[in-house]
Amino acid sequence: MIDAHAVNLGPYGLLLVNLTLLSVIGWALWKTERNLSSQSDTIVLFLLGVFAVSGRILLEPIPNVQPVTVIILMSGIYFGVTRSIILATSVALISNLFLGHGLWTLYQAFGWSLVGVIGALLSNKLHSKNITSNTPLMVLAAFCAFIFDWIVSLSVLHTLGPNLLFVYIISGIPFDLLHAIGNMFFVAWLASPLSEIMMRHLTVTKPLAVKELVKNRV
Amino acid sequence: MQKDSENNAFHKTFATFSLVFLIITFSSISTEWNRMTSELVDEADNPHYGLPDIWDDKQVVCFHFPANSAPSGLDDGRHHFDFDGTDFKTDKDWNETGGCVGGFENFNNGLDLLNAAIEATGSTFLINSTEFSFGLQIDSIAGVEPCKVYQCASDGASGAWWALLHNGAYSIVGISDLVLDVDSVLTWQITSY
Repeated sequence: MIDAHAVNLGPYGLLLVNLTLLSVIGWALWKTERNLSSQSDTIVLFLLGVFAVSGRILLEPIPNVQPVTVIILMSGIYFGVTRSIILATSVALISNLFLGHGLWTLYQAFGWSLVGVIGALLSNKLHSKNITSNTPLMVLAAFCAFIFDWIVSLSVLHTLGPNLLFVYIISGIPFDLLHAIGNMFFVAWLASPLSEIMMRHLTVTKPLAVKELVKNRV
Repeated sequence: MQKDSENNAFHKTFATFSLVFLIITFSSISTEWNRMTSELVDEADNPHYGLPDIWDDKQVVCFHFPANSAPSGLDDGRHHFDFDGTDFKTDKDWNETGGCVGGFENFNNGLDLLNAAIEATGSTFLINSTEFSFGLQIDSIAGVEPCKVYQCASDGASGAWWALLHNGAYSIVGISDLVLDVDSVLTWQITSY
């Protein structure tokens, strides 16, 4: 019997398939969001979670490049602390059911939750001058990449011990850099559409009111 | 408004080119960085201590099993297999049981050397592993699973794993990313907490 599906794509072919799938998922989610009524941020969080999990799994061939950090950062900015923590922990757990679940999931969930908290705390500053440029968000996303990676690196304390932690963190800097540049890439391409989507589902749509909104939702 | 648009176009171009450049060059950057940072780890003074002299300046892979859990045939000391698979020496006085496979040259990557050592010895040191996003996790070597030798609590309070040592010090990178020296000694041993 001929196995018609047994096509050896190779790593680049598979990556191309994954990018195509992610584009289709992103497009379908965007179209779905268009049909949602406003002020349904829970459903938007779910859609963002689907995209984050899909992005992390499908971009797995590229080390440390995934849209999760940026999505959670922006969730923190627009939807506040608690919602970003829900998103962070859910994305970490669900994506790790595919990529490998273990003690590190706890550190990843904590790291991404902290990214959401940072976003929520700085949300007013990011909007206070009615900034339309992505520059501050790109810088913050790059910074969050290092914060997240270093928190996850703490998990090696269970195995290597504290004396090797510093060396371990230093040795991971190329991976941190890849995460940081990847985050800048996602901010450059996704920040505007994501902002637009999130703004549409805020109960108060004025940017300057974001701080009050976040306070109310913590 | 037009300035913002130009600014965002610049961001997209800059971020895309930076990411593509970094992905293309990442393998080289990572290898060189690993080579530099490995200097920060305190290695054993002489990782070849106790190994046959003919393996001086050569690369070696050792598998150490707990004394009461060593596979049959490897439980009477430390066996030494040459790169062609010949078991030419057993050190019964050595304080570890298992085996070392050595005499290799010119391997740059840890995983390549490990695969060569496994192939040289046939089915003696067969490995089961799981590939995670962060690299390979060794589940068993020669059928020996850490959690069957030591207690691994379901709540994580205790556990055990196959740990990798490079020249006598715990490796800070996984076997797939490990950059070797000309006389590297890799050691796999079960570590528990």
